[in-house]
Amino acid sequence: MERGVITRPDLVVVADETLVPIPAAGVLQGLSERTVLLLGSAERRETWQDRLKVPGPVLALPVSAQSGDHGVLAQIGASCAGAAARLLGVIRRESLARALQEEIAKFGSAAVAANLECALAAFDAMAPHAGLVAASAEIGAGDYRAPEWVDLPLEEAAVAAPDIHGALTSELAITGTWRTHMPVIDYERCNRCSWICSTFCPDSAIKVAADHTPRIDLDHCKGCLVCVAVCPPHAIRAVPEREAAREHSR
Amino acid sequence: MNRVLLTGNGAAAWGARLAEADYIPSFPITPQTEIIETLERWCTDGEMDGTVVTLESEHSMITAAAAAAATGVRVFTATSSQGLMYGMEMIYTVAGWRAPFVLVNVSRALATPVTLEPDHTDVLGARDSGFLQIHCATCQEVLDSVLIAYRLGEDARVRLPAIVNEDGFYLSFTREPVELPDPDAVRRFLPPFRSRGIEFRASRPISQAVAVLGSAPYSYFRYEAHLAALAALPAYDEAAAAFASEFGRRWPAVEAYRAEDAEIVYFMIGSFATKAKDAVDRLREAGRKIGLVRPRLLRPYPEGALRQHLLGKRAVIVIDQNLSMGKGGVLYAELASALYGRPGAPLLVSFVGALGGRDITAEEFYEMAKVARQAADAGVAPEPRLLYTAGELRELRTLQAIAGAERRTIT
Amino acid sequence: MTAMIRSMKDLPSMHLLGAGTAMCAGCGGLEAIHQIYDLIGGKTVFVNAAGCMTLLSTYPFTPFRGGWIYTSMASAPAGAQGVRDALDILLRKQRIARDEDMTAVVLAGDGASFGMGLSATSAAIERGLDFLYLCYDNEGYGNTGQQTSGATPHAACTSTDSGERGYRGWKKDLFAIWAAHRPAYAATVIGADPVDLAKKIERALSLKGPRLIHALAPCPTGWDFEPQDAIEIGRLAIRSGMFPLKEYVGGAVVHTRVPHPRVPVEDYLRRQGRFAHLFAPRRNDRLLAEIQAQVDAYWRGVA
Repeated sequence: MERGVITRPDLVVVADETLVPIPAAGVLQGLSERTVLLLGSAERRETWQDRLKVPGPVLALPVSAQSGDHGVLAQIGASCAGAAARLLGVIRRESLARALQEEIAKFGSAAVAANLECALAAFDAMAPHAGLVAASAEIGAGDYRAPEWVDLPLEEAAVAAPDIHGALTSELAITGTWRTHMPVIDYERCNRCSWICSTFCPDSAIKVAADHTPRIDLDHCKGCLVCVAVCPPHAIRAVPEREAAREHSR
Repeated sequence: MNRVLLTGNGAAAWGARLAEADYIPSFPITPQTEIIETLERWCTDGEMDGTVVTLESEHSMITAAAAAAATGVRVFTATSSQGLMYGMEMIYTVAGWRAPFVLVNVSRALATPVTLEPDHTDVLGARDSGFLQIHCATCQEVLDSVLIAYRLGEDARVRLPAIVNEDGFYLSFTREPVELPDPDAVRRFLPPFRSRGIEFRASRPISQAVAVLGSAPYSYFRYEAHLAALAALPAYDEAAAAFASEFGRRWPAVEAYRAEDAEIVYFMIGSFATKAKDAVDRLREAGRKIGLVRPRLLRPYPEGALRQHLLGKRAVIVIDQNLSMGKGGVLYAELASALYGRPGAPLLVSFVGALGGRDITAEEFYEMAKVARQAADAGVAPEPRLLYTAGELRELRTLQAIAGAERRTIT
Repeated sequence: MTAMIRSMKDLPSMHLLGAGTAMCAGCGGLEAIHQIYDLIGGKTVFVNAAGCMTLLSTYPFTPFRGGWIYTSMASAPAGAQGVRDALDILLRKQRIARDEDMTAVVLAGDGASFGMGLSATSAAIERGLDFLYLCYDNEGYGNTGQQTSGATPHAACTSTDSGERGYRGWKKDLFAIWAAHRPAYAATVIGADPVDLAKKIERALSLKGPRLIHALAPCPTGWDFEPQDAIEIGRLAIRSGMFPLKEYVGGAVVHTRVPHPRVPVEDYLRRQGRFAHLFAPRRNDRLLAEIQAQVDAYWRGVA
């Protein structure tokens, strides 16, 4: 039985596939050949299996089209819940519907209906894999692998205190993965005003070169799209990240 | 020889002055206020080159103290009781900044009920924080301990702030003969403050005390502070040896008075231990083999020294001038954990006394010794006892009658 | 000191605060801080109070070029006192060279500035502490999920005032509290008006003593709007008159932008989900009128 930190999952449900390549998210940690990995994704399960090479089964849950301009995954939570319920094999369709109604009721009947539709569709779509997830056995007390306990050495205060000796280490954090839309500058329209987009970018992710050309730092741009909103000649447009990634990889 | 009559507060102020403390953030509270007033006068008159600033609360005062230490100067501050409690968030917080400074706590009993007289519950509330703790029994010891605390906290292996504790009223406002160390000798004993990499300078960017998300790094930083506190055990012995060599006064981590061949010892901290010494002398005259073991260092806990002194004794009379509600005396619980399961572990007899400054009489010391002897003979310790007499209870009843409280005993 | 910032062309093109921090996309607080940092630079020690910006520096990542220290929610001004006094001691006693000196800068959200930290702030001003105080104001306890704070405006919906009337109180006047202390300087700014902000930072840098920079921080997460609207909403806050841009200097209050004509407050409020209950399912004319009336009354009092 695990509590708090799940180190040996039987089922991993990934609602947002863009988290997979981020080390800090730890999506692939602790996966064994028993673990079922369910990804909300438009890509096929075989593509993911090839890409990730995890030991256990990989399933893809087709996500509904990204609604609006903002890359919102509509009712993704409900879809995941429905799919997971079928994979576990111990939750009946009616129980799922009832639980969802209780949970979403406070958001109104339209929300309940939309979420119910997604959850039940996912539940039904997972029929071929019903009950695929089974509880794994506990780690035996007989021949477990011993933890590698160490004795912490006393270290000097300057390193043993939570201090960062230096500047700008935040640049190592790649916040560009946050984006659902990428701002793209049309340099024919750009007036080289030298200040507007880079001043208004809250994250210092737009740098202006000596020749007044702005460059967006894609490692750090979070896709807030403030620059798109403020550019007077509308020289910056927002491109859905998926599309932009495809353009870049060509 | 420069012997003067000083109160404990005067001695504390002299400690800060001789240590050439640069910065003294302060806030008044009985019974420590005389310390900061004395320092303010000296700094204003030019007898001391320090900056005194009054903050608006102890929480702010401790923040300012640690921030200045983290910038790179030697800092002194003082508080008591409710003030220590008000600042307790920062007491815990700043220990982890690993910037050393000295805080003199003039211990005073805690609300509720609010009072002014001394006991030790306040300072023991800080025992888990990461601050070192040194406890004094005389005014000389207060002055000397401030100097030792600077050297100890600033030791490269340690780098932790330290509390030097003196009893309110019984030390803080009581004059005793104190020898003032020679300033040049102090400079030999206590070199100038060094930041050792934790400081603010324009040429060296540093982000201090940053948030840590992640249990493994968090555990590391916390445990390192603990290891540093433990490293203060050998560092203390070295500092005390250097002090003895320079000034001729010995302040071991644990004081043992006529304890070596004793069968039974008193175990207590603070100024009332001097009364216990008197009781030891009288009991020795009456033929009893009794002594006193008085820890001066409480954090880090001098486990090894205590085992050395106490294993093999028949009984230890633990006198706690503090109270952990729902458990009992703190010294008792911690001592039990140090001795449990060790060969020759003595019987522990727990007394809680002197709460709110209540006296412990000579008769009570003798009676405690008798109870301990009987317990050792019987091989079983009695239940912990609050030192409180029938006479005191009668007095309380008259007060209660005035206050209109109905008397009800819950059996 | 002659002002260097006169127009947009004079704004710095080199941005000093590091990228890669954990602030929300479109954060109005970060917007203001990033502009301010360009002007005050790395010879600063940021003394931080608990709030969203505490997460700017999380081990081992920091966006700063100078100093930073996290203190607590209530006592950042006292931390600034300690840093400033220690630097002064080191300088006076000639233990450091003059060029090692730094400016102490408190960085606090509205939660600390309008509430828990007021005692320490008041005392720091009283002591004449030479420091900058940056308050990024997103009108609620943002880091914990937008609960009502001393800065929450009338009728705003928060997670602790979730009814159809929203918060029943009124936004505390931090600027007036500071002005009553007669500081060296106080100013309201917003990232949506970078030139006004830059001029005020320059003026603050030319003075010594306690100096407040109170930045309204439009908050996509807490106020419920799309990140890319952050600047537009900031501009509406100014043009509607809801957030006056002014400064206190030399004992007088001067408004640096006087919106005229003023855009109806409704145009500002309807862009934010935290005021949605004023428009749907039914318009709350009474509350909208109350808000408009208060703004009108304020500007009537401005010469």
